[in-house]
Amino acid sequence: MIGVSILIFGLMMTFSPERRAAAFVTTPQMAKDIPMLIKKYGFDKPFYVQYFTWIKEVSHLNLGYSLVASRSVFDAFLYYFPITLELNLFASPCIILFGIWMGTIAGIKPNSFFDHFSRIFSIIGWSLPTFLFALVLMMIFYGYFPWFPPGVLSDKLTMFVMNSNDFIRYTHLYTIDGILNGRLDITLNALKYLALPVLTETIVICALLMRVMRSGMLEEMSKDYIITAMAKGADKKTIYLKHARRNALIPVITIAGQLIASLMEGSIAVEIIFNRQGIGWWLASSATQLDMPVLMSMCLVMAVVFVLSNLFVDLIYAYIDPRIRLS
Amino acid sequence: MKKILIFLTSALLCLALFLPANAADNSTFVKADYGTVRTLDPATVYDTTSGMRVYNIYERLIAFDGASTEKFIPELATKVPTVANGGISKDGKTYRFTIKKGIKFHNGAIMTPKDVEYSFERGMIVDQAGGPQWMMLEAITGKGGTRDSDDKIIDGVFKKIMDAVEVDGNDVVFHLPAPYPPLLGIIQYASSSIVNKKWAVEHNCWDGRLETAAKYNNPDFNTEPLQKITNGTGPYTLKEWIPSNQFVFERFDGYWGKKPYFKTAIVKYVPEWTTRKLMLQNGDADQVVLDPTYVKEVEAMKGVKIYKVPQLSYSAAIFCQKINPAGNPDIGSGKLDGNGIPPNFFSDIHVRKAFSHSIDWKAMKEDVGMDLIELPGSPNCKGLPYYKDVPLYEFSAKKAKAEIKQAFGGKVWEKGFKMTITHNTGNAMREAAANMMAENMMALNPKFHIEVRNVAWKDYTVKYRQYAYPVFIIGWGADYPDPHNFLYTFMDSNGVYGKYTGFKNAEVDALCDAGIKNVEPAKRREVYSRLQDLWHDLAIGNTVYQRTLVKPYRSDIKGFVGNPMFSDAHEYLKNLYK
Repeated sequence: MIGVSILIFGLMMTFSPERRAAAFVTTPQMAKDIPMLIKKYGFDKPFYVQYFTWIKEVSHLNLGYSLVASRSVFDAFLYYFPITLELNLFASPCIILFGIWMGTIAGIKPNSFFDHFSRIFSIIGWSLPTFLFALVLMMIFYGYFPWFPPGVLSDKLTMFVMNSNDFIRYTHLYTIDGILNGRLDITLNALKYLALPVLTETIVICALLMRVMRSGMLEEMSKDYIITAMAKGADKKTIYLKHARRNALIPVITIAGQLIASLMEGSIAVEIIFNRQGIGWWLASSATQLDMPVLMSMCLVMAVVFVLSNLFVDLIYAYIDPRIRLS
Repeated sequence: MKKILIFLTSALLCLALFLPANAADNSTFVKADYGTVRTLDPATVYDTTSGMRVYNIYERLIAFDGASTEKFIPELATKVPTVANGGISKDGKTYRFTIKKGIKFHNGAIMTPKDVEYSFERGMIVDQAGGPQWMMLEAITGKGGTRDSDDKIIDGVFKKIMDAVEVDGNDVVFHLPAPYPPLLGIIQYASSSIVNKKWAVEHNCWDGRLETAAKYNNPDFNTEPLQKITNGTGPYTLKEWIPSNQFVFERFDGYWGKKPYFKTAIVKYVPEWTTRKLMLQNGDADQVVLDPTYVKEVEAMKGVKIYKVPQLSYSAAIFCQKINPAGNPDIGSGKLDGNGIPPNFFSDIHVRKAFSHSIDWKAMKEDVGMDLIELPGSPNCKGLPYYKDVPLYEFSAKKAKAEIKQAFGGKVWEKGFKMTITHNTGNAMREAAANMMAENMMALNPKFHIEVRNVAWKDYTVKYRQYAYPVFIIGWGADYPDPHNFLYTFMDSNGVYGKYTGFKNAEVDALCDAGIKNVEPAKRREVYSRLQDLWHDLAIGNTVYQRTLVKPYRSDIKGFVGNPMFSDAHEYLKNLYK
């Protein structure tokens, strides 16, 4: 984290003091106060002083002001994050389970029809641009069959949530708040709006997991302990799923951790095409509009997410492979 | 694992089969747009997207009569004043409006002539920089602002304003220093909306006293007290506004006029065209904002009715001649060193002319505008009085190169430059024009680097007033159908855009002044002819397009009447029904 913070700070130092002070400008008129802001935040002081001043501001969650969101970066993050989180809550299990399942079968039965199919599937999924795939899915499942519309919730239910004093937004995730408020129709409706974004992310992202899982399985299946177990007539299901797959999972978990962490910064294409205004949408708008406080803050947030995901992955390693725990 | 996957797949299929689609609710009107709202304060509203909200929440004394740009109907006034009915004095200097009685504001208060007087006075006293009040001020005080060229408040201007608008019984009277023919057009404009005085004062607006007026003059952008709250007499109230997401109107049950058909109206921010298109196709949106580039896709759509309305509007690339360098990423190093441009880059006419030679007009008209645009050579576009066929700058790399080689004594050619051209997010035509200009300029010299960047409308309309953009592409829709409204706006050193070009020319300013003060048609023709020529000769800005508005609605939506004064962002919600 310290390394990342120095790196981000270094990037920021490539901007002029005026540009860095502009991060704290909340109204256009404040542009004339830039010299005052330079003094206030010490942008004219030695770099090490500036670094500690910056760390202090960040630790107080003063990340600057987002012009795109018309609010502070922290408030904007709290506003956009639930949309991205909700998508990832559903997409992540699908990506992991689907990727592992297809990779396992393909690895157990190499060169079978299923293996060929899964390889073609993964090549298409991995090589097709996400925006194109999202557009194709929307053309079919919204344009041709009007089943899965873009957005987050239907207008009718959005109006209900807006007008109702009884519907409490505990988590700001419609699927979960629907259940907590005893309104399953809201949960189901939100799921309907999630279907295509989840499908897009699953197909595009699980391709890599599937390929890694398949090669892991092939490697494990050729090892002596598996051949010995097969020769001794052990239960094939036990060999495949309990012995081979468990060992093949280690690299898959590493990649899955990185993939899920990267999903937390939002999928720009998915959020824009399906009109879900989450972190990805915010980042894309900020990038095109040079909203630097957002871009720098999100680098920092992503660093935190990746550190946490690596920690989580390490814990999973220990669960999957007892040798790691012992060492 | 298999079971889980089968369950998930089945669950998704069930959702598709058993849950109804987001079928359009009969009591809700949905519009999908790419514009974002900057303010809801009538005193400072001066863009089409914000104006649409104000038009539906607030009301004015009069309104345009359907598609006409010359005839009016009464709204909060009992009749439209004319010389014949005694509402306008014979010398054209006094306008008298009798105010309707018993009309309620959204908070339940009854509207009175005092509210009308306060609304006009407050608007003019506020007079935000680059805002709409120059129009009323020009009519009422003879000058287009409350501040002089050094930004100091003009002596006695507030007293003049307060004396010019008076209550006489149930009438509100406007006293003008000289006849001002476009006044009725200004009084129908969003910035002439009527607010509730008591409520406004309670919310930190001007308290109605002469002594305090200066304190409320020229407020900072986004700090206006009524920027986010509303209380009008209009048919709709503000239910919810989430910036860059959606704006929800709710029908006002205490509305004095005919009850609007739709209980709710939602304007959704959908910058992606494909998404907007499919929303219209499936009935999830009743109306979507459509750029000419995509018209053919919508013409092939079933269940959609398309209206075509020629517009009194003009889009141009504006060259800023005194760019604000403070923290400005759009001018690179801020020097003529190959990595940026100096703040006065566009003060050299050769630079402006080179950029003007870099738009491929044929491609613009046929491929981008799909033959639904005109290319007038000056802001006095087709359909306005005294229109003149001013030539466009020929699209020519040779001529562009010859011009840029002369700029800054040849230094631009030698060193190169780096800068940005900006346009508002979602506007495909302006994006195409920006890209065209950038690509063609960069093709002249490998040392030329131009980026094209989009900015959300709510920020765009603020930042150009900060002199933040070297070149920005922006449009102007008529406030009233008169050349003054366009030529003053783009060319005068105090005009809404003219001011932010940093361009000042004594002849241009004098001609703009003469144009509005002269009532003799032959003289006005002469003045406006010269101004149109000067626009071209001085390359103040460059034409991008004058468009024919193509507005698609679901075919079950009735009641739309196109008016050349209103752009695609506009919607009179109370007229619409199913």
